[in-house]
Amino acid sequence: MTDPLTSYGQSRKARIDALAATSVAESGTVEEAPGLSLIASAWQRLRRNPVFLLGAFITVAFVLLALVAPWVAPHDPAVGYLLDKVRPQSNPVPGPEPGFPLGADSRGRDLLSRLIVGARQTLIVGVFATLGGFLGGLVLGTLAGAFGGWVDSLVMRIVDVMLSIPSLLLAVSISALATRPSQWTVILAIAIVQIPVFARLLRGSMLSQRSSDHVLAARALGIKQSAIVFRHMLPNALGPVIVQATLVLAVAIIDAAALSFLGLGNPDDRKPEWGQMLGQSQQYLADYPHLAFWPAACIIVVALGFTLMGESTREALDPKSRR
Amino acid sequence: MMSDAPLLSVEDLTVTFGRRGQEPFRAVDGVSFQVRPGQTVGLVGESGCGKSVTSLAIMGLLPQRGNTVSGRVDFEGTNLLELSTDDMRDRRGRDIAMVFQDPLSSLNPVVPVGVQVTEVLERHRGMTRKAAMPVAADLLRRVGIPDPDRRIKDYPHQMSGGMRQRALIAIALACAPRLLIADEPTTALDVTIQAQILALLKELVEDTGTALIMITHDLGVVAGLCDEVNVLYGGRIVERGARHPLFRDPRHPYTNGLLGSIPRLDAVGERLTPIPGSVADNLPWDHACAFAPRCSQPIERCTQVTPVLEESFGRALRCHNPVEVPR
Amino acid sequence: MTTPPVDDPDVLVDVRGVKVHFPIKAGVIFDRVIGHVYAVDGVDLQIRRGETYGLVGESGCGKSTLGRAILNLEPPTEGHVVFDGTDIASLKGEELRRKRQDIQMVFQDPLSSLDPRQSVESLLVEGMKAHGLAKDAKEARPRLRELLTAVGLPVQALSKYPHEFSGGQRQRIGIARALSVNPKLIVADEPVSALDVSVQAQVINLLEDLQEQYGLTYLVVAHDLAVVRHISDRIGVMYLGAIAEEAAAVDLYARPLHPYTRALLSAVPIPDPDVEDSREQILLTGDLPSPSNPPTGCRFHTRCPWRQDTRCDDERPQLRVVAIDGVPEGHRVACHWAEQIDSGELRPHEVTPVAVGSDELPPAAVEPELMGPASVTEAL
Repeated sequence: MTDPLTSYGQSRKARIDALAATSVAESGTVEEAPGLSLIASAWQRLRRNPVFLLGAFITVAFVLLALVAPWVAPHDPAVGYLLDKVRPQSNPVPGPEPGFPLGADSRGRDLLSRLIVGARQTLIVGVFATLGGFLGGLVLGTLAGAFGGWVDSLVMRIVDVMLSIPSLLLAVSISALATRPSQWTVILAIAIVQIPVFARLLRGSMLSQRSSDHVLAARALGIKQSAIVFRHMLPNALGPVIVQATLVLAVAIIDAAALSFLGLGNPDDRKPEWGQMLGQSQQYLADYPHLAFWPAACIIVVALGFTLMGESTREALDPKSRR
Repeated sequence: MMSDAPLLSVEDLTVTFGRRGQEPFRAVDGVSFQVRPGQTVGLVGESGCGKSVTSLAIMGLLPQRGNTVSGRVDFEGTNLLELSTDDMRDRRGRDIAMVFQDPLSSLNPVVPVGVQVTEVLERHRGMTRKAAMPVAADLLRRVGIPDPDRRIKDYPHQMSGGMRQRALIAIALACAPRLLIADEPTTALDVTIQAQILALLKELVEDTGTALIMITHDLGVVAGLCDEVNVLYGGRIVERGARHPLFRDPRHPYTNGLLGSIPRLDAVGERLTPIPGSVADNLPWDHACAFAPRCSQPIERCTQVTPVLEESFGRALRCHNPVEVPR
Repeated sequence: MTTPPVDDPDVLVDVRGVKVHFPIKAGVIFDRVIGHVYAVDGVDLQIRRGETYGLVGESGCGKSTLGRAILNLEPPTEGHVVFDGTDIASLKGEELRRKRQDIQMVFQDPLSSLDPRQSVESLLVEGMKAHGLAKDAKEARPRLRELLTAVGLPVQALSKYPHEFSGGQRQRIGIARALSVNPKLIVADEPVSALDVSVQAQVINLLEDLQEQYGLTYLVVAHDLAVVRHISDRIGVMYLGAIAEEAAAVDLYARPLHPYTRALLSAVPIPDPDVEDSREQILLTGDLPSPSNPPTGCRFHTRCPWRQDTRCDDERPQLRVVAIDGVPEGHRVACHWAEQIDSGELRPHEVTPVAVGSDELPPAAVEPELMGPASVTEAL
């Protein structure tokens, strides 16, 4: 692979030579090189952006960890190896010792292993909750943005009602409806809460596309309405929504933690999840804050990673920031 | 009335923008010009020629991070580039004022226009709000805002574009600055309103004796207003002259090309002679003339040697092969 | 009010009594119509085959809306747009979509009017596919080359994306797209005003060349009278939703009859100091009244230096042929006193400016004293 800066310099030199050699055509010169799409040119800039690189590094590390977790974790997260050291009165949470660098939780299970394996569950909750919210919002937002009129009014009033309920309260209500709380009720609750956010964003984005010059141009050209919606409006409207998705992923992980904290999370703690771990640490918070610290730190770092990546992508895709 | 000592003397002004992941960009590249008291000087050029950056550098309004400004900007003997941020803030509005292109975004939307005028008076002349109010109303009347005692309480969005630009000019004139910089003051306005604003500026310059730097892309605006015109291209001045000789006898192929590419209202439909290409086709000034690829009469020297700005008889020209035939 | 339909086969577009009124809505849950913006309020005009009709006026005069109404991109509230025998204004759905092939549009902002995700090839092929002129890009290749050559772009432009071009090149792409479906009429809405001065001339010349090459008819909508006069055969001057004066380009400049046209002509700066020094300007006072509340009678009477006490305030003047020696029949003006003004019988007088606020309502809840420093004054 060539160093991007040298190749940039070389292409510039070649360009100057070409310019110097002949006088330009009336329309000006067009470079010989094949075209670079919007996304490709955004990527050109992103891969030199340290903010994006940091975000991407955190995100990739997190996903990799989630994938290989069972093989990397030093112990089985469900087995209470240090259970015999737990004394409910004097020592409810065993401290670090050789082989168990972060100590164990109140049931004697290795904290480090639980954190590592927890990455996988956390990723599942984050990704599926976000995906659910995204798809729901996609359908509603497209309907509202593409048709306008009474469809728009109807969809948006429903969305407004959903938005008027505090999101956590809504998530709590939804997960309380489930007869047996599980990981999937958590995912579902968070997904539903995120639907109006996505729907509103997409709708606004679709509306601005609808009144944009290039959509007007497509109408003037006599392009079919369906093609205008799916080929011109939706792809251009999705940019900000996809970026929002990376931000929502972080929110979803935090929401999952909140639900677990309230006892509405996944009761099956053989499959640890960071939010759930944070929730379970509450009764020891005063004396053993490290139980809460580690999962919280993991959540913050991962959320930061997604947010940095999302924000820098948004910046790179913004046509105004180009050149 | 005009004395020979310059009020403002810009020498070798260079502004470089740092760009992430790319080489720095020289937006203004060794610009020198002078403004005498009471004189109206035009900076003319197309987008990206550095005219607005020049004015922002004079005003000290460029963001400091990542940018470097070098050269001298002498205003009555003080180099403005060396002043501290606080000293410069004192000068702005009192000695040098600026009028921007978009009057709506230059005015604070939640403060009545009158208060925005009095604020300047309070700050620079130490007046109280109460004492400043009638002065502000007077200023608004002077710039042609009808019924100023009532309009003084209006918010910017309650005014039309032309009225806002008048209000902006009133704010700029509040402290009787000796230099007014107008950056495309009429570009956002309709022609009939533009004519009003230009007439107002002309009148104010005559009445108050303030010097004016007029920044515009419109050669027509310059033709009626400026004593001296600087034509900028690619961050450098390529030609300078008093307006009559410059328009009658443009020597630089760019000036000549610009005049040939504008349809004139008073000329019958002759075919226009455009300048080929766009600014994207420029060469770097380092060892060539930036305009060479678009030039109508380039010679070999143009792509090998940087032309220098040569002054003679009140004209200045940066060209290896100037246009010989007067228009 | 509406002129009778024209059977002249020379006329390609016959615009009759077109009005476009936008409702102003208010309300929290249910929208109420609280007024209208009379953007276009009764326009008649004919565009002949092969000519360039220029529509000129200041912002808010309704020229762009009229341009869009002719394409039925903005359905007219009232009136007819007869194009080649078909009333475009009454078409809907698939019929309208098919008809769009004949009338194309060139936009002001070349970047925003091109879909940023489409390569030039895809941009140009799309319309051809929609009208059955080509099945895919491969079949369209020869035609694409021809289009690019016609607008002066190299073939390698095909694989590129809009953001990779300069402003002038983008406008060429926009023009090529309009040409791709073989239209008869092109409506160009401010085709050069977003471009640099040196590039404007390129595009103006290109439009002229293409007209000759393809036998096109143009409707050019612009605010720049110099550009419109240069490019047009006939010009309509619009003021507040109606045509104030219509004439051949040469006649309009030589003998403007409407006071507004006179003011407009005298306001356009000319890049020649000698001319500028000696010109007499008619400076209009005041601003354009709001199109949601246009003045009664002659729309221009609030700013007119020739306003008379009779007729102007209450009788709306119609576009009419005037009986003045040397003024051809095609030169029509909507002014009650055109003859008297032209002969010098009526002299201009002072006009007290009427301040016009914007349409927005004052911010009721804003407490000025509580707010921070102003943006400008902060800089001072």
